Amino acid sequence: MDDREIQLRRYKSILSKYLDDQSEQTLYKGQQFSRKMIEQKISPEEAVSLHVSAMESLYPDMPQEFKNSYAFLLEMMIGYGFAYREHQSLRSRQQQLETEIEIAANMQQTLLMGEMPTVESLDIGAVSKPAKKMNGDYYHFVQDENDCVSVAIADVIGKGIPAALCMSMIKYAMDSAPEQRMQPSAMLGNLNRVVEQNVDPNMFITMFYGLYDSFNHRFYYSGAGHEPGFFYNAENDDFGELYTKGLVLGVSKKPNYREYSKDLQKGDMIVLLSDGVTECRSSKGFIERDEIVAMIRSNLHLSAQEIVNTVYRELEKMQEFELRDDFTLLILRRKV
Amino acid sequence: MNLQIKQEDQDNIHELSLSGEVDAFTAPQLREKLMPLTEKEGETIVVKLANVNYMDSTGLGVFVGALKSSKQNNSTLKLTGMTSRVHRLFEITGLDEVIDIEDVKGGSV
Amino acid sequence: MNIQSCVEVRNEWDIVKARQEGRNIAKELGFGSVDQARITTAISELARNIYLYAGKGRIEISNLDSSGKIGLRIIASDDGPGIKDIRKVMEDGFTTSGGLGAGLPGVKRLMDEFSIDSKENEGTEIITTKWLR
Repeated sequence: MDDREIQLRRYKSILSKYLDDQSEQTLYKGQQFSRKMIEQKISPEEAVSLHVSAMESLYPDMPQEFKNSYAFLLEMMIGYGFAYREHQSLRSRQQQLETEIEIAANMQQTLLMGEMPTVESLDIGAVSKPAKKMNGDYYHFVQDENDCVSVAIADVIGKGIPAALCMSMIKYAMDSAPEQRMQPSAMLGNLNRVVEQNVDPNMFITMFYGLYDSFNHRFYYSGAGHEPGFFYNAENDDFGELYTKGLVLGVSKKPNYREYSKDLQKGDMIVLLSDGVTECRSSKGFIERDEIVAMIRSNLHLSAQEIVNTVYRELEKMQEFELRDDFTLLILRRKV
Repeated sequence: MNLQIKQEDQDNIHELSLSGEVDAFTAPQLREKLMPLTEKEGETIVVKLANVNYMDSTGLGVFVGALKSSKQNNSTLKLTGMTSRVHRLFEITGLDEVIDIEDVKGGSV
Repeated sequence: MNIQSCVEVRNEWDIVKARQEGRNIAKELGFGSVDQARITTAISELARNIYLYAGKGRIEISNLDSSGKIGLRIIASDDGPGIKDIRKVMEDGFTTSGGLGAGLPGVKRLMDEFSIDSKENEGTEIITTKWLR
């Protein structure tokens, strides 16, 4: 007996039982049977054909009109079978793609995220989460032999794979210009050239680049259209905007990047973020910058890493655990 | 979440009135309308943004692309009537200094 | 191989005619009702593609008998604009974005064998077979 005959026998016995008793229990059996048919990849038209064969053998004298109507129904179901098989094939392709992306995401993780600096004078915290699997946000710390710490935070427009590929390019451009590490404005100028020449015209990158000098506790920084960060003045217990003016990378051939500086006292903090942080939406609307400040403020007693983790968790909760954009938050606090 | 685009042409001036959201989902639709207009020399394209309540960076990207194309093809691109919320994006990114923006609505500019 | 039927496709009536021919031959060869419906649908899709994208073409339906195996072969050919990127039209999900080659992956799955040959500005030929089990 082949598969079809076995199926037909089972189907027929459940069907005829139902025609006798019309009980919920038999319907439940039917539901279980349909699950098995799906497992065995029985297409909709085959399911209908099974029904027709069962009916024909249960009611050999079925009126011709009914037989004809079944033929018609079969024709209708072929289209659904089409859609069903396409769905299955797309699903297996999707699984394949997901596996590939998973691998790419892991590669990106190892490529981009370097070691966190350990400088006596600084307490540093960082969190960066992609909205999808690949991260279009980027941050990078470099610590040199004089305990100067440079920090970069960047956001490529768009999300996902294109953004992530672009980010890898930025990383290598930065690594290959070590002499500009000490000059934020020159670094941005150089990166702008790389991006302007190599990137799709609709694409741009925002970036903030800073350098913390542990010797005089001065922070030098420049911005290329990046979401402004915050400066926390511990003595006045006051958050201010870390404003920079500068065009995003990749738009103009010769933009000027101004360099700013800020002196940090003990307890002062630099807070850097990607616009994913302030573009977050909750059910009540946009999450405002003030709310982020309030979240940081109420966690000031924690370490920098604990603060960014807490803020991330709270924002995640407010958005019902669905990130709309990549999310990055960095904190540098002067310890001593 | 949707974007409606209404186009009105008069001689060599093309007006696109947008309403809704310009984000990763709707940006391709806007790009398709906007880019061809910027590719003709001497044309002026005015994009009215008064009824755009949300724009993300992909949306900004469309205007960056349009700006580059208009420079290359000697056409003129103008954005008018955006809300201060949307304008803030152009300000942060420094794009307000390279794109012609007129008549920002409401709030401080 | 004896050609059993050849339908010139120029309008929607011809699609129906091709379907009818296909169904008759399938029935004659002993295909069950599900396979009859599948074969007819495949013919329908192929004929529709000819009608929509090439304007006119042919559907040839013949029976095969290779070492005792009985089969039905459909050849759909036209001198239309051809398909630029065959790999693309053979991708699932392409149909939904509209355009050329609607439903070819679906046709391939309805049948047992499928081959396609197309040159830009010269035309397209699709040969597909269903074996009787």
